[in-house]
Amino acid sequence: MRAKIIEILFEKMKEDDKIFFLTADMGINMVEKFEEHFSNRFLNVGIAEQNLIGISAGLANMGFKPFAYTISNFAITRCLEQIRNDIVIHKYPVTIMGTSTGFDNAPLGPTHHIIDEWGTLRGIPGIDIYCPCSIQYASNILDNVIKNNSPAYIRIPKGQPNIKKSEKDLYFSKGTENEKILISYGPIGMNCLEVQKINTKINVLLLNKLHPLNSDQILNYINKFKKIWVVEDHFPQNGIFNSICEIIAKNRIVKDVKSIAPSDYTLKVGNSPNYFWSKYSLDVEGIISLIA
Amino acid sequence: MTNIVDPVEVRKTIIEILFKSKASHLGTNMSAVESLISIYSSININEILSNSINRSRVFVSKGHCSAATCSVLYHFGIIKKSDLETYHLDDSYLAGHVSHGVQGIEHSTGALGHGLSVALGCAIGMRSVNNKNLVLTLCGDGEIQEGSIWEAIMFAQHKKIQNFVIIIDNNKISSITDTHKVIDMRPIKKRFEGFGMQAFDVDGHNTEEITLAIDKIKHSKLPGVIIADTKKGKDIPFAENEPIWHYRNLDVEHYEKALHHLNSL
Repeated sequence: MRAKIIEILFEKMKEDDKIFFLTADMGINMVEKFEEHFSNRFLNVGIAEQNLIGISAGLANMGFKPFAYTISNFAITRCLEQIRNDIVIHKYPVTIMGTSTGFDNAPLGPTHHIIDEWGTLRGIPGIDIYCPCSIQYASNILDNVIKNNSPAYIRIPKGQPNIKKSEKDLYFSKGTENEKILISYGPIGMNCLEVQKINTKINVLLLNKLHPLNSDQILNYINKFKKIWVVEDHFPQNGIFNSICEIIAKNRIVKDVKSIAPSDYTLKVGNSPNYFWSKYSLDVEGIISLIA
Repeated sequence: MTNIVDPVEVRKTIIEILFKSKASHLGTNMSAVESLISIYSSININEILSNSINRSRVFVSKGHCSAATCSVLYHFGIIKKSDLETYHLDDSYLAGHVSHGVQGIEHSTGALGHGLSVALGCAIGMRSVNNKNLVLTLCGDGEIQEGSIWEAIMFAQHKKIQNFVIIIDNNKISSITDTHKVIDMRPIKKRFEGFGMQAFDVDGHNTEEITLAIDKIKHSKLPGVIIADTKKGKDIPFAENEPIWHYRNLDVEHYEKALHHLNSL
């Protein structure tokens, strides 16, 4: 999805001379053409993420629409105060594009397991958070953030899932019974859809926009089903599990809602995301066993 | 350049608003007065008032000198007296750290090490649209302990960003003690030169020296740093070089002493 989003951004830059692309020395064989074609609107700021965010804020002050690109933990958790003070408090239309999310960088150790970042950011009001579950949504995401003209974070998982008709913020796949629903996002969404193929009774709701949520729409889905599982490659206490519980509590309803998610950082190495998906029951088999 | 604003009058204004609102940060406000006057003397005030996209940008990265900044804005006719008098009080936008809720203030700071990168972004943006105006940033000598400052310095130097002026208010006291006792970076000028920047030592209480250095950087086609040698608590005898006046507010006795001394200058 990263390549798709970057390709679309390149096309947008041809039409909109206010778009400015910045990288913190990431994106080999991908960002070079930006420098070649848009030398006045491209910066590689080096391995200096605080500067990446600060410069983006300054460019927004000058009327540009900056898109700042790097690995998501460097962008979000390292620069949280720059995002809060220099972008969000000033309402600058800076879009942060963070890659290598969840367990995408599985073998690289706990510093690169990015299972906490968007929930941390969610505590700051005034920034929209997206995580495309499909190539279809990824294709439209820049239209959304450019139109909104406000701070945004795009959590970009690896992979190119093909999910037809998933262009909207919510994607619902109906099961044959109204008892159980899985709520998920990002690459785990595909696992949930695989679960549904095996057990067609299951309903699946995938979120492309993580924050803020359209509570009314979500509530409609919550009300329809008896048992809810929130499945995510992120800690539940500030992830979508927390958001769903918040909606339930605010609306004073009683629901059976459970989390399937990582519980802590781990020093164990996994050669691919599958290792951690299996460890935390985020894979197809794990989900099936927990919802049985 | 002739200064139309008298530093002594600005200090009197600062003392008035600090006393009225029982606000702190007296020391850092007093050291920054001449730097702020020089900064606003170097730019087109009308473009600030009209919020022109082409205006010069001023970043007060050492956000603690909000009382001095607001007082200078008032003396330059950018904010009204009635607004100034709300400093630090209920329902005001004039906070104890500079806030962009106030006309003429470009960026809210207070957390140190932020303003310089944002200023650099403005300067890069200006270069992209061939705008030749100045971007001026005031930092503290304690603030340059923040690593993010050096991220910005390295990049500004590498990209040879023009019209990018950094003033270090070198009052030699950080938060609770002498800056050099915490991290000794003396002589500061060599630190910046070591990063490839042009740097100028000036008397930070001499507006002519500061404005001359700003002018030099403006005409040099390179970014530059001005190290303004200042005294924390300048012209308030009981507060000069006393770290506690970063925190303490003025009681009646100290307020009257301060004003009495300023009136004698």
